[in-house]
Amino acid sequence: MPYEHSPSPVAPTASSRLWTAGASGGVAILVMAALAVMKPELAGWLAAGAVAVALATWLVNRRPPALVSISELDRSGPVDLAPDGALLGDVFEALDDPILIISGGEADDIAGRRIALANAAARDLFRLNGTGAGLLVSVIRDPKVLEAVDEALFGNFSSTVDYVGGGAQERHWRAFVRPLPERDAHLWGAGALALLALRDETDTRRMEMMRVDFLANASHELRTPLASLSGFIETLKGHAKDDPKARDKFLDIMAIQADRMGRLVADLLSLSRIELNEHIAPLGRVDLARAASDVVDAVSVISRERGVTIKADLGQGGATVSGDRDEIVQVIQNLIDNALKYSSHGGVVELSIDRDRTLDEAMVARMPEGTRLSLATPDREAGQKYAVITVRDHGPGMAREHLPRLTERFYRVEGQKSGERQGTGLGLAIVRHIIIRHRGGLSVDSALGQGAIFAACFPLAPVRDAVEGAPAT
Amino acid sequence: MNQHTVKAYGDELNQLTAEVVRMGGLAEAQVADAIESVARRDVALAKAVVERDIRLDALHRDIEKKSIRLIALRQPVASDLRRTLGAMKLASDLERTGDLAKNIAKRALILAEGEPMQPLTRSIERMGRLVSTRLRDVLDAYTASEIERALSVWSTDDEVDEHYNALFRELLTYMMGDPRTITACTHLLFMAKNLERIGDHATNIAETVHYEITGEEMLGERPKAVPGPGEEQTSTPHISTLPSDLTDD
Repeated sequence: MPYEHSPSPVAPTASSRLWTAGASGGVAILVMAALAVMKPELAGWLAAGAVAVALATWLVNRRPPALVSISELDRSGPVDLAPDGALLGDVFEALDDPILIISGGEADDIAGRRIALANAAARDLFRLNGTGAGLLVSVIRDPKVLEAVDEALFGNFSSTVDYVGGGAQERHWRAFVRPLPERDAHLWGAGALALLALRDETDTRRMEMMRVDFLANASHELRTPLASLSGFIETLKGHAKDDPKARDKFLDIMAIQADRMGRLVADLLSLSRIELNEHIAPLGRVDLARAASDVVDAVSVISRERGVTIKADLGQGGATVSGDRDEIVQVIQNLIDNALKYSSHGGVVELSIDRDRTLDEAMVARMPEGTRLSLATPDREAGQKYAVITVRDHGPGMAREHLPRLTERFYRVEGQKSGERQGTGLGLAIVRHIIIRHRGGLSVDSALGQGAIFAACFPLAPVRDAVEGAPAT
Repeated sequence: MNQHTVKAYGDELNQLTAEVVRMGGLAEAQVADAIESVARRDVALAKAVVERDIRLDALHRDIEKKSIRLIALRQPVASDLRRTLGAMKLASDLERTGDLAKNIAKRALILAEGEPMQPLTRSIERMGRLVSTRLRDVLDAYTASEIERALSVWSTDDEVDEHYNALFRELLTYMMGDPRTITACTHLLFMAKNLERIGDHATNIAETVHYEITGEEMLGERPKAVPGPGEEQTSTPHISTLPSDLTDD
């Protein structure tokens, strides 16, 4: 243990700056007093000077003793130039980035690399207790980092390596390894010291990945219909020029493709608009049941075409939620569209509205044999009640590994092609963003072969007085 | 850990554990890099993995030597003996893991010469991620002597098997669809098999960790996935039909 032989870190040592500052202050005052006796005409100035020195000395000594002060552990290094060693110790503790000080031991003994000091962030990250002393390999065993530490300890070499850390989620770190000047051997175990600072770059990585994926996906989705369009244009210009029958057929296909591109662009635009407004709560009041029945009416043509029955159990009134009507209609529309897409001919899509639910009741598991996953959860507000709209299909369903990724842009459950289903891959992403804006929740229940249940809940609007339009307090 | 009257004895034991952990880190990195070299068609990385395998072998020998020395000179009993034996067992599991990773990297080199096969390499990558996580978890369990974590790795081995079976079918479909892909798909198939075996080594390590901490064998049947289409044929000595530079040496 590196701390075993150390003197109590609280008690200042004889030559601590606390004493030296006090002593030099006292000497200065004595000198001034002597001068004042010899030269009475300067006494006023000297008295003022003495008071100033006394004040300064008192200020320096007033500093409360810190638990571990770097200036007391080490009195020779560059740290001494700093105004206040204890402050530096506190700063080290308070830094957000995990930082470890590693002591070297013998070069050929891996058990010699020990953590001499770890700041709070590092102790948290590696679940270390107390001062954080322990073997380095027990917290980091990445060979690149270990090598870099060895180089810093025994080769006096600085380096920077990337390091992927464990835990429930993968985290990407950048590790900065720097050699430190050698310290008092008996304080630190043995000789060489190195600094290992970690910086979390997970978010940067993730954003970068998302950006790359999004660009690749969006351009891919646009390119497919575009390629078919330009192919048909080529044909129409060439040998199909004078064939009215083929021309009509081609123009129909081109219209479908152009329509698909149009829908994709519209979805992208509405996604970006919703994202812009995500932090502005919507103001209006919407009757969820009425909005839902409007959507059911609107999709009745398509559902009849596909031979799918929509069974709506909407009830009457009592489901007034605060929100933007157009956006809530879009949520219901996208959920029903999805359900229709994955229903086979002769299938049934069930739609129902539950009123006056607490958040826990709204997000409850609805399929006993399936997996439930929450895709968006609002912040809890005491007493807030929700209206829940659930859309159930009896399609192929999804395996549990797909559920967390459903609201990713352009994510498709494996084995499903975009062509025949006519989706843009953005529907659920839009749904999720709208719901987040409305402070609502979204959950999905599904099991393979059993279809899926999507449940979206919106906070109920505050009750109004009997007079329409007068907001309640 | 218990205090030893002879301080050097305790030091030697700690050093042995530290060496095993370091070796684990190296094996982990080998597996992760091998998978990455497949996913990104990174020839340089694949070559680096093949070259680095020597270091794993050296560490393995070193740990074995140190364990034998410790047993001979200190005659450890009870938990100390289990720690020493556990270190030896772990080292050989990790050494095999490294060999399998090296084999994956060798195949990645061959795959890089052909056309990219995006969806398939992505499936391999996904399976690789899963196996890497298991390896990491079980090594974490060893470092922290956490029996629950070791047990959770031990009992979830069927996830890897499920992945392997799914990949097997996917690859068969590809080969039937386009016979030109058979060479590449076969390499991918062996990669999947290697990953599956790395998963088995992780399970072995979990068993060793359990034994080391409790002194008892793992009891009960490990949950098994339904034997997939690949399982029926595993008894055939397929390795011997491979070109000599590809066998798992």
